[in-house]
Amino acid sequence: MALRGVWQLKRLIVSYCDWGGSSRGIRAFMESELPTFKEKNPQLEVVTELIRGQHPHLKGFYKNKNERVVCVKNTTPEDILLHATRLRNALGRKVVKLKTRHVTKHPSVQGTWTTDVNF
Amino acid sequence: MAHRRCLQSFVRHATALICLRKSPPLSTLEILTTKPNPVISPPKLESSWFTPWSQFRHFSSSKSDGSENEEEVEESSDGEAENDEAAADLGRDYSPEEKEAEAAAIGYKVAGPLQRSDRVFKDYEPVFAVVQIGSHQFKVSNGDSIFTERLKFCEVNDKLILNKVLWLGSPTQTIIGRPILPDAAVCAVVEEHALDAKVIIFKKKRRKNYRRTKGHRQELTKLRITDIQGIEKLEIKTDGKPLKAAAKKPEKVATTA
Repeated sequence: MALRGVWQLKRLIVSYCDWGGSSRGIRAFMESELPTFKEKNPQLEVVTELIRGQHPHLKGFYKNKNERVVCVKNTTPEDILLHATRLRNALGRKVVKLKTRHVTKHPSVQGTWTTDVNF
Repeated sequence: MAHRRCLQSFVRHATALICLRKSPPLSTLEILTTKPNPVISPPKLESSWFTPWSQFRHFSSSKSDGSENEEEVEESSDGEAENDEAAADLGRDYSPEEKEAEAAAIGYKVAGPLQRSDRVFKDYEPVFAVVQIGSHQFKVSNGDSIFTERLKFCEVNDKLILNKVLWLGSPTQTIIGRPILPDAAVCAVVEEHALDAKVIIFKKKRRKNYRRTKGHRQELTKLRITDIQGIEKLEIKTDGKPLKAAAKKPEKVATTA
């Protein structure tokens, strides 16, 4: 998640509930793995938010003003770390099927071949 | 058992070395191999066809081939228990860095250090290269983006060197590799590790009450190509005329041995 060396994920909001059972994993994640995740990504602004009575989720805000929300209800802390790492690793682009695997602005160096070209 | 395997591979190495240094007729070869040990008589047939295989490996040399051979000889002497552990480790952490380097060589990439305020992203240069990553080949130029299968041992913002380059080209020169060019390198930076869009795999057999739905998201890595080395690049001057004069020159095809 770095376009030309610039990290694309700006903010990560970790929302949890202190009463609900679906937030058990994320509460454990916040105790065990969130500090190391914060240290590994100093460019990222990680915020924890308490939402009572609702399922926990991770919200990622990207530089192209895109938001990605991942619901982490009833997930283990390792899986939550995986989701957070995936959010950090991704660009904020829309998840659509790729047209081509090679994106270029200059498709030809020696000139595009036509039937008139003679080597 | 392990000793016999070790001895057989050692004898193969010895016979290969003998065949490479001299090139004696087959009769003298037989004499040489049967002298030390009568057990070695089966491999003597293999030595004659083993030599072209060893020559091919030397020719197509990526440096990892030599190191893999040495490691095989060492590991076979330790027994099969270590092989099982190695197979179990393949799914988990590659703790020794040598194994990471091996796996990187299989995928034809070498991870360089992370970027710290390097000026890596240059303007477009009219040079292209055909590079192979895993089993896919791409025709890349400076500043292109490539989507490959997930590359395991690199993080985002890592510099990679792709060393399996098959073809280099510029407006005036083309260099063809047979099959790869040993001195060429393509530098790239890992931009993202992301999942592709979900494809739904739907199976149905009609009138048989059989219907299955499966979702799949492929893990991809996006690389941005920054530099191509191994070919002469024209310096772009401010005037347009020298570029056009250079482009009109006939293309020279220089083949590497």
